[in-house]
Amino acid sequence: MAGQSSRIAMLEAGLDKIRALCIFVASIALVVLIATFGWLVFGRYVLNVTPTWVEQLALLLICYIAFIGAAAGVKENTHLGVSLFRDMMPDTVQKIVIIAIDFTLAAFGAVMFFAGVTLMKFGWDTLLPMLDIPESFRTLAITSCGGLVFLFSGARGMLRLLTFSDWQTVPQDLDT
Amino acid sequence: MGLTILLLTFCVLVVVGMPVAFAMGLAAASAFWYEGFPMLITFQRATAGVSVFSLLAIPFFVFAGEIMLHGGIAARLVKLAAALVGHLKGGLAMVNIFSSMLFGGISGSAVADISALGSLLIPVMKERGYRPDFAVNVTVTSSIAGIVIPPSHNMIIFAVAAGGGISVSKLFLAGVIPGILMCFCLAVAAYVMSVKHKYPAEPFPGWGEVGRSAADAIPGFITAVIIVGGTLSGIFTVTESGAFGAIYALVLTKFYYRSLTWNAFVLAVTGAVRTTAMVMILIAFASSFAYLLALYQVPSKLSDLLVSISDNPLIILLMINIILLLLGMIMDMAALILICTPIFLPIAKGLGMDPTQFGIMMLVNLGLGLCTPPVGTCLFVGCAVGKIKIEEALKSIWPFYLAILFALILVTYVPAVSLWLPSVLD
Repeated sequence: MAGQSSRIAMLEAGLDKIRALCIFVASIALVVLIATFGWLVFGRYVLNVTPTWVEQLALLLICYIAFIGAAAGVKENTHLGVSLFRDMMPDTVQKIVIIAIDFTLAAFGAVMFFAGVTLMKFGWDTLLPMLDIPESFRTLAITSCGGLVFLFSGARGMLRLLTFSDWQTVPQDLDT
Repeated sequence: MGLTILLLTFCVLVVVGMPVAFAMGLAAASAFWYEGFPMLITFQRATAGVSVFSLLAIPFFVFAGEIMLHGGIAARLVKLAAALVGHLKGGLAMVNIFSSMLFGGISGSAVADISALGSLLIPVMKERGYRPDFAVNVTVTSSIAGIVIPPSHNMIIFAVAAGGGISVSKLFLAGVIPGILMCFCLAVAAYVMSVKHKYPAEPFPGWGEVGRSAADAIPGFITAVIIVGGTLSGIFTVTESGAFGAIYALVLTKFYYRSLTWNAFVLAVTGAVRTTAMVMILIAFASSFAYLLALYQVPSKLSDLLVSISDNPLIILLMINIILLLLGMIMDMAALILICTPIFLPIAKGLGMDPTQFGIMMLVNLGLGLCTPPVGTCLFVGCAVGKIKIEEALKSIWPFYLAILFALILVTYVPAVSLWLPSVLD
């Protein structure tokens, strides 16, 4: 029992590090986005030279902010959702529904991951204009998101299933 | 059958508590699969949905708002508002509403508004003898004015959800009068309640203090001027204005106000990332969802249904407002803008309503939804800041609901409220 608890704690700590890494990567992308766009505005209106690559880079970075940040949001439970109707259910039913959602979301993450891999294969020979890197770098964001959603949601579902009687439906699951 | 799968999957998943963005993605993937299309179209459209140039303004607006929140600008705006309107009856309530108008205009976020102003003003209001529920209700309801006072990232979401063709500059201009009108209606409600409960007026600090407060607050307010002015003048695109505004806010709070610490900067960046990701993932999967809604001709089917109930435009607009109000009670704003715009906008256009006016009507309506239970983000945040229960707040919130409903009726049925300013300045 103690061995299982320590393994669960290690898994939780590992997942939390990955979540922190996601926030770090998305934050760096945001800072680079702001800095380079500031450079674009400065170049266009002050130097009269437009660094056109910035726009394409910005469209790439926003994908990473959106998808990697969203994957971290799955771990942090910060996505917008409606828990009102679920809260009305009896406690045990709520727990079953919450675990079912975890596994449904994990399955969706897996589908997203494999679809992303396919899109990456399609886009490998197409270059992003101005950046001259494969289009696959854009779809890498949604592929990573799929993998991370699968990991975060699947692990949470498994942990909840293993410790079914030990966790509370409130207040851990504040979705909104 | 495909439409049934799309809507049923979405509704079931939302009802059981699946995050709305992923519920839309899963519903869209199911419908694509049923129709025999490859499921990867869902994800292809999701990626394309966020790779839109005008959407880049959202992280800039959100970041500027976060910098304002953590960089000490709120306190300066409150000081200015206190100097200007604090001497009226129920002075601190007026200060709260006027501060929301100023701060909301800069941050464009109702939740940021409540966090920043509520934590400053609610404790002071309680100390001065205001009832806690009154203090919370004033803070919560006035915060939604920031959603329509430009700049507002929700306007960008609406413009994108409308499928392009709607000028963000026009939306910015169209939001000014409704925002001021909402604040005025709320001020009237607060005044009446202040007279009833004998809430005090604060002493007038003198014109010298007004001048000093204004001088201190104006550099912060210039952030909004840069974003809105840059866009309206046509000098910058809305995205460039957002970037310039964000950098200005950063430089101002770091080097002029000297109130932005490293920790505050990190909080601002990570806060902006979380909000941006939450909104953008909704936009991503709403892109797939909206594609299918259009494919199944949902807007025209719903339009036929509404017209079969009544062909009077006033009644149809009333029905749309009621549907939005009901949906706003259970779902958050960004999600509803993305889901409802492609459905209701064509109907409103069919009735001869200007899309810009419809956008402002929708924002005011869904803003009210942020203050209504059972899912009212602003109400929850306000109650948490004010340390009161939601039931307690709800006992005395109705005068403020009525004030916003009155503003909503004017925005819905008097086009000039939102369209006069754009027509004069465009």
